[in-house]
Amino acid sequence: MDDAWFAIVMLSVSMYVLLDGYDLGIGTLLLLDRDERRRREMVEIVATAWDGNETWLILFGVAAWAGLPTAYGVMLPALYIPLIVMLFSIIARGAAIELISTANDGVPFRWGLAFGLGSLIASFTQGVAIGGLLSGVTVTDGVFTGHTWDFLNAYSVLTGLATVVLYATAGAAFLRLKTEGPLRDRAGAAGRVSLGFTAVLSLVAALSLGATPTGTHLSSPLRVVFFVILVVVAVAGGVVAWIGFGRRPDRLALTGVVAAEVAGLLALLDILVPRVVPPGLTIGEAGAPGATFVVLLVGIGLNIPLVLFYSWYAHHVFRGKYREPQLARPAGLSASAQALRPSGPPAGVPSTTDGAVS
Amino acid sequence: MSDTMVDLSRWQFALTIAFHMTFPAITVGLAIFLAFVYGAYLRTRKPVYLQIFRFWKRIFAVGFALGVVAGTVITFEFGLNWGPFASATGPVIGPIIGMEVVTAFFVEAGFIGVMLYGDGRVKERTVFLATVLVAIGTVLSTTWIIAANSWLQTPAGYKIVDGQFQPSDWWQVVFNPSFGWRFPHMLLGVLISAAWMITGISAYYLARGREQAFARRTLSLALGVLAVLLPFQLDVGDHVAGSYVGPHQLSKLEALEGNWDSTNTGYNLFVIPDMKNGRDKVKVTVPKVGSWIAKDLSGNTPTPGLASTPKDERPNMWPTFWGFRVMFYGSMLMFAAVLTGLVLRLRRRLYSTTWFHRFLVWLTPIGVLAIIGGWVTAETGRQPWVVYGQLRTADGVSHLSTGAVVFSVVGFVLIYLILALTWVAYVVRQVRRGPLPSDLEPTLLPPAEPVAEMGV
Repeated sequence: MDDAWFAIVMLSVSMYVLLDGYDLGIGTLLLLDRDERRRREMVEIVATAWDGNETWLILFGVAAWAGLPTAYGVMLPALYIPLIVMLFSIIARGAAIELISTANDGVPFRWGLAFGLGSLIASFTQGVAIGGLLSGVTVTDGVFTGHTWDFLNAYSVLTGLATVVLYATAGAAFLRLKTEGPLRDRAGAAGRVSLGFTAVLSLVAALSLGATPTGTHLSSPLRVVFFVILVVVAVAGGVVAWIGFGRRPDRLALTGVVAAEVAGLLALLDILVPRVVPPGLTIGEAGAPGATFVVLLVGIGLNIPLVLFYSWYAHHVFRGKYREPQLARPAGLSASAQALRPSGPPAGVPSTTDGAVS
Repeated sequence: MSDTMVDLSRWQFALTIAFHMTFPAITVGLAIFLAFVYGAYLRTRKPVYLQIFRFWKRIFAVGFALGVVAGTVITFEFGLNWGPFASATGPVIGPIIGMEVVTAFFVEAGFIGVMLYGDGRVKERTVFLATVLVAIGTVLSTTWIIAANSWLQTPAGYKIVDGQFQPSDWWQVVFNPSFGWRFPHMLLGVLISAAWMITGISAYYLARGREQAFARRTLSLALGVLAVLLPFQLDVGDHVAGSYVGPHQLSKLEALEGNWDSTNTGYNLFVIPDMKNGRDKVKVTVPKVGSWIAKDLSGNTPTPGLASTPKDERPNMWPTFWGFRVMFYGSMLMFAAVLTGLVLRLRRRLYSTTWFHRFLVWLTPIGVLAIIGGWVTAETGRQPWVVYGQLRTADGVSHLSTGAVVFSVVGFVLIYLILALTWVAYVVRQVRRGPLPSDLEPTLLPPAEPVAEMGV
């Protein structure tokens, strides 16, 4: 039963990486673009979905707390600094997205910076947190007893950087799907560069995992087989993404990135399970009592398909290339009167009329 | 764990949750309001409703986003600063908040994009449906979070195994003794807060002679809702104190009434407590009212005092007493305003009495202030317990270096200060700019720059 729950915890963290990964990545890419109209378009694309994407992070947190309370109570204090900084960044960028979106047009400089830097730092600290976790956590009697800065080492910095470029690749792939024109072209070029960095950094991170307390020992032949298959899929996904950044159909790059991300996450799990907090804490030890699992699996588990549906729906409504909303004129207001309006265009509408319309 | 660490973590939690609370306090009610006005627009096709929807949507959008990001912090703070607490209560509280995530957060998050950005991109009915679902989500969210908090106040349906709380009866866990009164109290509280916000901003326009059609409709609606909800809240609030605080958390009642010995039959209006020596330095009391509140009209029933609680189980009287007074005095002010509004309405002068409009502008944040006051009472009054009577707050704090917690406290203070100022400035700017014109009225001309600052 606790294994089934662990699967749900892992599902939420994977969904989070897949979904918020791309919108954090778009934030990072925004820092590299100077064009006001393109910057605004990037924010608008994120604005319709970031809230739902981020909810997977909350589900991950709560699912871990409810189902693996000991792991949760150990992991969070151990990763205090990176997680606090991540929360600061998430606050700043979330507020920035809505404030940009309700501004008349363009991207106000400060909020653009808050969105971009917030996204970049949030990505980095998430990677650092994962690296810090894989570097091992000091646990005595089910309580964290290590030091504040235990998480910080060469390995966690490496995973931090890898996460930044991975998310940027996902962001570029998503922009490829949602945009046309110069933004689409730039996303292709940026995507290839970040994909290259991602490949190198994750290779180094994977090879040096053996030197961390987590280790890379695969205890059974079955695990070895899985691992090999997953690595092949991840590499294939990378290749597909590389091709997709250069040619149509535009969903190709995102497909490749998603395949690579899923395979990479599963490969990591293949090494880790049944441990949840390396080096020693396992699912069984960290788990909650049976009565909790019943309610978790019934109450929350049965809701998961519904939750997946909401995530799908939020993207489905705004499917296809990004286009500006065609706002119905309020009754009685002539087109010329609308043009003369003193208060600027309504919520979330860039005042530009060309460029973004496909 | 040192006292400093406990205090720092408590201050951080208090700060982050008070900041978070400000936004749901407004957005739950606003979501319902937006669903109502968009529904009214679809039914009547009167442009003014669309105008109201579009205007309030912008204030809602930023408030909602701030509530979401500030709420994400809370989820992680349980584990970050309160690791041993999280470990001990996870099996009971975790699933409740998990239910909140899957039944409320995801619904809200899935449809908020359509609600806010769907205008002009998707069908009108889809926007309406999304708005209704978001409103339902916010109410469900309130339900679950109050269930979780109420369990901490009056834990039930659990057993303790190896220092961990384990659920034995989920029905009792969720419908614990205090949930039944605290939930309606909170729900009414957030609806009332939103109504004051709408009232205040509508009154601002009326006071300045702007946006008449728009402002009259929202003022009338919000004041009408308040006139219905406030009497209910008075009754429910009375039950919260009488049916839950008194029987289940006597020390909280002792502290919030500001008494030490159990002889006072009056009601304390003003108290400066002396925690160390167990007495009040200054006390202003109205005779007999304390007894009346306890439903004894003879005026002879005394209110219990904090001296009857062992010294190491006493909450701090300062925040408990004054938090309650902020809520209580705030509610008196609300009553006075709503009654005045009723009188003016009956005399057909509601839209023309400028002094009353100016007064209402000042009341814009009063609902939020009352909620924060009430919350301070609820949370400080149950100290030193985090799970009442079972787990002390001091035993729930994480093993962290002081520097790390100081860093996070300072960071939160700075970020939240900036965001709070940004939020107020944003609302003020939106209000000054006003709603987009709904038709070819003279409002098409640029609105005159406001001459004097109005407190919002």
